[in-house]
Amino acid sequence: MGGTYPEVWAMTDSIATISLVAIFSALSIIRVARVFIRKRFPFDSYLGYSWLFFLSLTVAELISFSIGIWILALVSFWAIREYFSLIDIRLQDRLAIFGAYLSIPFMYYFIQIDWYGMFIVSIPVYAFLAIPLLVALGGKKTEGTVFSIGSIDFGLFLFVFCIGHIGYLSLYSSWMAALLVVNVLICDAAICIVRRKIITVWGRLIASYFLPVPLVVVISLALSGWTEIPDQHSVILALMIPVLVIMGHQAGRYVKADLGIKEDLLIPGRGQILDNLQSLLYAAPVMFHYIRYFLK
Amino acid sequence: MNKQTDITNWARLLHVLLLRPLVKLFSGINVTGKENLESLNQYIIIANHNSHLDILLLYYLLPVSHIVRTHPVADKPHFSKSRFVFRLVDFFFRPIWVTRGKPDLSDDPFGEIKRIIDDGQNVIIFPEGTRGVPGEMQHFKSGIGRLMSQYPEIPIVPVFLVGPERALPKASALLLPIWNNVIVGPPQLCVGDHREITRHLEDILIELSRSESARRHKRSPQEPRAVKHIAFLGIDGSGKSTASRMAAEAISKSSRICLVSDELQFFEQGEAREIQPLMTEKLRRVISGYAKKAKSLKLYKIPKLMELLLRNKLLEEAERWYSPDLIVMDGSPLLNLLAWSVLYKKEEIDRETCTKALAVLSGRGGDIGHDDPIFNRFPELVHMKRLGLTKLALPDIVVLIDLLPEVACRRIDTRGEQKQVHETADKLERLRQAYLQVCEVVEKDWHIPTLILKGERSREDLCRASIDFVMKSIDTGPE
Repeated sequence: MGGTYPEVWAMTDSIATISLVAIFSALSIIRVARVFIRKRFPFDSYLGYSWLFFLSLTVAELISFSIGIWILALVSFWAIREYFSLIDIRLQDRLAIFGAYLSIPFMYYFIQIDWYGMFIVSIPVYAFLAIPLLVALGGKKTEGTVFSIGSIDFGLFLFVFCIGHIGYLSLYSSWMAALLVVNVLICDAAICIVRRKIITVWGRLIASYFLPVPLVVVISLALSGWTEIPDQHSVILALMIPVLVIMGHQAGRYVKADLGIKEDLLIPGRGQILDNLQSLLYAAPVMFHYIRYFLK
Repeated sequence: MNKQTDITNWARLLHVLLLRPLVKLFSGINVTGKENLESLNQYIIIANHNSHLDILLLYYLLPVSHIVRTHPVADKPHFSKSRFVFRLVDFFFRPIWVTRGKPDLSDDPFGEIKRIIDDGQNVIIFPEGTRGVPGEMQHFKSGIGRLMSQYPEIPIVPVFLVGPERALPKASALLLPIWNNVIVGPPQLCVGDHREITRHLEDILIELSRSESARRHKRSPQEPRAVKHIAFLGIDGSGKSTASRMAAEAISKSSRICLVSDELQFFEQGEAREIQPLMTEKLRRVISGYAKKAKSLKLYKIPKLMELLLRNKLLEEAERWYSPDLIVMDGSPLLNLLAWSVLYKKEEIDRETCTKALAVLSGRGGDIGHDDPIFNRFPELVHMKRLGLTKLALPDIVVLIDLLPEVACRRIDTRGEQKQVHETADKLERLRQAYLQVCEVVEKDWHIPTLILKGERSREDLCRASIDFVMKSIDTGPE
């Protein structure tokens, strides 16, 4: 009697791992198929970034958490590199940008060693203190300093700090992170569909919320055995995530428009990465802190 | 021969396995219009040049089989500074080494390049000659046109590179990961005069630079407000202070004027306004007091120089704190300094020397080398350059009141103030000659509107003439 209980757990555990690998393999097949099918789908870049996240989670689960987290660090690097390539930097801001790149390993290291207190202040305190100084040390021109500090800090916060929350979430449990990525993917897909079919602003807003909600709730509840999130919290999170995704899209739309990115001409290096990650930027930190506050 | 093939094979392998993935993963690269290059067999690539990364990006474009038969044109002395770098560059790119600015006189300057082209190989040329100001394209050197006019049958592939100027700009050794956009334009066949070809190619690159993928976010443009400086020059007692004051008052009816004279004043709507005092101005007055009391020309020199430098600093500060539309100056720090140095030299100074000194002092002498004879003539310039004091403002409009020294002396006498050390007829005459020479340089070589007025006319007359001139020059602009 005493022996069966852990056995059942071990079994569901391995099923959980196998499912993770299965999702990852499915996404990989889609990616490989993309190479042969030359036709571009509007949505396949989203599948691409999900593939990256699942790669990170699968590696974390099967091989080592450290390697998985550094794959995520690479995603942060690509995202912020694209952002820095798009904004108007002055030549003397280059030192600060170098510092911003350095803060990626700085932060991900604290995730790797599970030091929450330091992780949460790494960028909002230390990196944000370093960057104005680096901007000041970089050159003599004072004009535009405020804009430079602001735009570098903003990029660092969104594309390193917010993405880093997914990493810390996967430290709690790979399936929590997987749930987040899957739910956000569903919301993204819903928004893609809604944008083509509905023109009125309010119609779009309501449809992009209510279209994905049933599926997100069902998935959250179905996976609650693996994510170990109690049912009531699963439902609350599932109701929250679509809102956060819509918020991310709205903020991202304005940022992209200002950076001069055309929505119909997204390529890596010119807005595609920002576009793919924008919906996670709000969802990841909020879901992480919700779980940390109520469940840990 | 066998060894040579070996080396080139290694180079090709390293290009494909090392450099290309590095560019892709570290920097990121987007290529638009690659099909323009693929169908060609022999071509010449031209590109804008901003960074040492440029060549790596261009090699990224090439089909693998073309890597070993493509050669960039590179400046040998620049890369020879380090043996290691030279070897590395030579191994990866096998450039055609040339020496910039010193064409090989013994035979054709394009000898080696032509040999390579005749051999059926490809050449990469940066027609700007050198890496310029980041993000700005310089005019093409005529070499590309001269070369291509001899090869009307070989297509030129124009390539525009965006990104390297920020990833690795000229003055920096810090390589940042910044995404590069490479825009390949359609191949061009060039026929005609070499000047036409050069211009045509330059136009094409400018057009590529306007394409969609070269566009980038711009902060709202904050054009620095162009505050025009109007300088009234003249020897002591010529009435330039009065003239500048009257002019400032008159012009201020329509705009905000800052008058930098013996005291700092601000005029708006025809009358003086109270202004926030400036520390620099107080300091300048103290030093100016010392200068006026000086007993000999030698003792006069240092306080006068300091006073002029402070006055120049004052111009910047007045611009910043009072935001005037125009600054009217009683004397110009730059031109006064130059005239005084001519006075101190006690020898004839030709116009060329004067022009050069002006260039150095106003911070526009970028192309004047350290070994230029000007620094032997004026050793002070070396020190000033070292101390960073060579950023004196060049006025936009100059009015010289030319008065005979005898008359000036008489006027100074009637003022009843203590006479300054240089206020004697022969010294003032020399100073007057110096001012005339400086004004000639300013007008002829720097194309700054200059008016020379005879000082014997009445004050009102002088004032009216100078105001008319100033207003006319402001309307037509500085050019």
